Amino acid sequence: MAAVGDLKDWQGETPSNERTDEPKDARIWQREPRGDNPFAQITDAVVRIVETPKPPRAWYIALAISLSWLGLFGMSVGLLVWNGIGIWGNMNPVGWGWDIVNFVFWVGIGHAGTLISAILFLLRQNWRTAINRAAEAMTIFAVICALMFPALHIGRPWLPYWMLPIPNQMQMWPQFRSPLDWDVFAVGTYFTVSLTFWFMGLIPDFATIRDRADTTLRRLVYGVLAMGWRGSSRQWHRYERAYLILAALSTPLVLSVHSVVSFDFATSQLPGWHTTIFPPYFVAGAIFSGFAMVMTLLIPAREFFGLKSIIEMRHLELMTKVILATGTMVGYAYAMEFFIAWYSASSYEQFTFINRAFGPYAWAYWAMVSCNVIFPQLFWFRKVRTNLGAMMVICVLVNVGMWFERFVIIATSLARDFLPGAWGYFVPTLFDFTTFLGTFGLFFTLFLLFCRYLPMVAVAEVKAIHPAAHGH
Amino acid sequence: MSESAETPAVVKEPEQLHGLLAEYTTPEELLQAARRVKDAGYSRWDTFSPFPVHGIDPAMGIKRTVLPWIVLVAGLTGGSLALFFQWWTSSVDYRWIVSGKPFWSIPANIPITFELTVLFAALSCFVSMLVLNKLPLPSHPLDRYKRFARVTNDRFFVLIQASDPRFDRRETAKLLDATNPRAVEAVMEDTASSATLPRGVIYGLVMLASAATVPFALAMLARVSTSERPRVHIVPDMDWQEKFKAQRENHFFEDKRAMRLDVAGTVAQGELRDDDHFYRGKVGGAFAKTFPAQVDISMQTMERGRERFGVYCTPCHGVDGGGQGMVHQRARALLQGTWVPPTDLHQENLAYKSVGELFDSMSRGIRNMPPYARQIDTADRWAIVLYLRALQRSGAAKLEDVPESERGGLK
Amino acid sequence: MSHGSDNHHEDKITIDGEASSTSQRALVLGVLALVGAVALGFGDLAKLQRAYLTAFMYVLSVALGALWFVAIQHLTNAKWSVVVRRVAEILANNMVLVGVLSLGVVGPMLAGSSDLYPWVDHARVEGDHILHHKAAYLNMSFFTVRWLIYFGFWIWLGRRFFTMSVRQDKDGGDEISSALQRMSAPAMIAFALTLTFCAIDLVMSLDPTWFSTMFGVYYFAGCVLAGYSSLALALMWVQNNGRLTATVNQEHYHDIGKMMFAFTIFWAYIGFSQFMLIWYADIPEETHWYHWRFEGGWKAVSALLLGAHFVAPFFGLMSRHVKRNKRGLAFWAVWILAIHYLDLFWLIYPNGDGAVPLGLVDILCVVGLMSLFVGVSARRARGVNLIPTGDPRLADSLAFENI
Repeated sequence: MAAVGDLKDWQGETPSNERTDEPKDARIWQREPRGDNPFAQITDAVVRIVETPKPPRAWYIALAISLSWLGLFGMSVGLLVWNGIGIWGNMNPVGWGWDIVNFVFWVGIGHAGTLISAILFLLRQNWRTAINRAAEAMTIFAVICALMFPALHIGRPWLPYWMLPIPNQMQMWPQFRSPLDWDVFAVGTYFTVSLTFWFMGLIPDFATIRDRADTTLRRLVYGVLAMGWRGSSRQWHRYERAYLILAALSTPLVLSVHSVVSFDFATSQLPGWHTTIFPPYFVAGAIFSGFAMVMTLLIPAREFFGLKSIIEMRHLELMTKVILATGTMVGYAYAMEFFIAWYSASSYEQFTFINRAFGPYAWAYWAMVSCNVIFPQLFWFRKVRTNLGAMMVICVLVNVGMWFERFVIIATSLARDFLPGAWGYFVPTLFDFTTFLGTFGLFFTLFLLFCRYLPMVAVAEVKAIHPAAHGH
Repeated sequence: MSESAETPAVVKEPEQLHGLLAEYTTPEELLQAARRVKDAGYSRWDTFSPFPVHGIDPAMGIKRTVLPWIVLVAGLTGGSLALFFQWWTSSVDYRWIVSGKPFWSIPANIPITFELTVLFAALSCFVSMLVLNKLPLPSHPLDRYKRFARVTNDRFFVLIQASDPRFDRRETAKLLDATNPRAVEAVMEDTASSATLPRGVIYGLVMLASAATVPFALAMLARVSTSERPRVHIVPDMDWQEKFKAQRENHFFEDKRAMRLDVAGTVAQGELRDDDHFYRGKVGGAFAKTFPAQVDISMQTMERGRERFGVYCTPCHGVDGGGQGMVHQRARALLQGTWVPPTDLHQENLAYKSVGELFDSMSRGIRNMPPYARQIDTADRWAIVLYLRALQRSGAAKLEDVPESERGGLK
Repeated sequence: MSHGSDNHHEDKITIDGEASSTSQRALVLGVLALVGAVALGFGDLAKLQRAYLTAFMYVLSVALGALWFVAIQHLTNAKWSVVVRRVAEILANNMVLVGVLSLGVVGPMLAGSSDLYPWVDHARVEGDHILHHKAAYLNMSFFTVRWLIYFGFWIWLGRRFFTMSVRQDKDGGDEISSALQRMSAPAMIAFALTLTFCAIDLVMSLDPTWFSTMFGVYYFAGCVLAGYSSLALALMWVQNNGRLTATVNQEHYHDIGKMMFAFTIFWAYIGFSQFMLIWYADIPEETHWYHWRFEGGWKAVSALLLGAHFVAPFFGLMSRHVKRNKRGLAFWAVWILAIHYLDLFWLIYPNGDGAVPLGLVDILCVVGLMSLFVGVSARRARGVNLIPTGDPRLADSLAFENI
């Protein structure tokens, strides 16, 4: 019987938690994961990234770039708060410009994370465990970027609490009948629930890092975050139930969030905005762009952080299939819009679509069509689905196309609506651009910090679906 | 889990025994061991694993948790709250019509109701998971055992607590040995470290909690008290602008008024308007009987006059000038008792009024009719007068006055 | 857990005898009901046509729902559903019958009847500005071509899935599964388009001035619900006759129940989106369609639809126990199939006068057409295995366990 505190067990082995022979600055993520069984290997492959004293050089370079963009964002926000919305290109009649395009863009990207976490979980797609942690993190960071825009574009950004139903001396309440107020609740709920789901998934992995920690600071920080998790099966039972319920709640939630965002447009009477298919169309588009962003992040990440054994090519290929499927749904919605615009016999509707394709914004329209409809068709071919370079290019193009889709919807419909006398042409300013670029800085900075300090893969979940975990 | 273990009757230990811990390397071994322990009738025991082992629930006899019911109740509460709140604020507390929608617009209330249902359900799910799992759990006797640190990595454990009624040092150890573990350890109670939070931490938390109530207390105080000082204005919000408003002081001038009259003896450029005939319809102090020279008596002017008449005059005076314009009809429909009907422009006394007088009535207003000088420029006003003359003539014309080519249209 | 994988070998997997007798009875019932409907409804041909149309769209939705199920299982390489897929393939292979039944709608149109569709009447089209504009699409020739394309495609697809799967019973191997998976992707695209335009042609154009881009999706939601509910009931019938008793177990019913639950929510989401957007913008061109459905007797029908098509099945199918219990699931399957009829009735009938003419003719039409469908399906079930014995994923499906 071993005495208390004895490091050697009765068979004379040293527990592998003690790492004895590792030089401090070794590129440990490039060696094979350590461990004599699959579970230990999975732990090592992921946690060593958090424990390494120096992350890969690519990380530093990427962080430098994203921090500079983040600085640009800070400057743009400062100028905006000081000077007002006039520094942007918003004008009559295009009162919603890049601010709302960017908002919808970022919220849409966030949806993929929840789909991967929640919906693929409900559909029992075990391959999700390799990517769900990073995807959920991406969701949270994307929603943070998205929330910047409603907060900043209101003109007096020091009054955002007016959007909340707090009793006030004006005795006024928010306008609950407005889709813009529904947005506040929808995106707010989405952010809260995603954060909760993500954090809950992190608890066992925080415990893993805590138990391998060799410095007191690391043990304390991750220990507090782990909340004392020790892997008790009775606790796992409730945890699993809670996880299932959160997944079941997140599924209708994610469908509702982009539907509510689409209501911002569809509840109006504007041709090109008012069409009943917007809710599922926006949701499909969101998943489309979100998956493309997940791939844009993970293809380099698995390369530089040595996670190829966990994030395999087959996972990436499955994601390209989802991109192809959702892109096709978006194409279906385009087709329905065209057809009904003609069928409706409304000259305003017909003009809107002709104007999009051949009017002053035709360049944006065709950029959208080629990036959203044409290029993703390459994913029908297996060769393209398994070629990392092609995948990166097409995924970036998908996101470009989806940005243009929102721009086309917003700008073209507003620029030329019912009264020709009111027509205009929106031109973005430098600050529209720097603010948008700056949000990429915010997004990538947060994501890079996540890669460095948090476990990028859901370690416990990957272990749970490993063949070695099954057996009766 | 920090209650003291009963000292076993058979063997005395120097420290208090918490339980026996067995270690395994595969999930299958854990499951078999778990079944054995359950079959042996133990109740105060648990298993530990780096991930939820499939099949462990029935192997251990873990009953279904009550968590889903808590979530259901919380979700329904959230939904009802959202629906009630939207109803109360929009149809009771501050009723106002928004784009013609009913006060209680149920279709418009659905999105927020749904979101709040999900929010309440999700937060209650997470919180009750933590509470039911007794998390956060900062301390546990197992923390002192290095082998146990592998539980979050790749090892599986069974812990049978000494407080279990069936626990017996030798029998329990034999049972565990029979399950072929990697190792079996005796786990002692953690008597070394303190069982309660350090006093400093407790004091700190109490102080923090009290400090947190201060802002709310101040806000509450502000609500029920009055002050002579203006409120704190953190963000100027364009509330003080560098311009002079009416009735304000301006110390630049001797009389300290911001509102100024025109300087005596000056006229703004283009504002001289010394042509009495054209600008005021007067010749030598009396109303003009002829049109001023600037007015071109032509069909073009007449058409312009007709068009302007249609824009400005027909709402009250009607298209035919008879006084039955839309405004009059509306006033009649609303049964406005004090309504004075607009003048019928074909009345005899009007037909005999000079053009200057008509121009003057139009420019400066007469009785209930407002002045139109600001809205219609001078040349257009004369055009309207010209048209008015034609209109009046048409009201009193005979068939012979109509050119032959037009007579067919009158039949 | 091995409760599925061992005993299935003792299961009987063909149902020839009972299928024949059921088929006979169903076909006779179907013909009698249809004859009864025609006899009863002959006096009011316009109403009879409407009753028939509603019943036809109902049968079509069951068949399309089953077809969609088969396609999506192939597309996603699903393992859980293999043991239930053959029954769905049988249901989906009935497109020839459905095509023949469609003649009951299209026939009168070809003969010039504009009782249902105003745009069939040339004179009315000439006189109406809006109909005139749409005449490039809403005209008999183009309509007929489209009708042939829809049914041609569906017949081909249903047959292909069925025959390839049956062939795999004999030959085994992965190639057929891979081929079907590859085929199902473009097939899905064509399916979405044909279903959408069929719904537009046959239902949305009943009121040619109204339009909604969501309409195809709405009908699709109903099809999926009808498909899953019918599948559940078909499987229970098979099991009640002593077949597949150990092969198909509560795990599979649980998954079917989950889909019924999910698509109940999906249907409500689509229906609500369509309604709320039209309500909110309040454009008379679009709102009159809903006004008809909130006037007179239709108000109660709409309220019933909300309560019985969404609220009740939502709470009813939420529970794990209900989904894993054959009786509970059967109850909700029948419920959903019944309320789905009301949904189609609500789509097709209102024409502005507030009257809700639900009568015996409607019941006889739907009973007639569904009985014919059941009869032909049962007939097809003869001589084939009730599970795809050659499918490489069969073992996974047998051993399947739910969360």
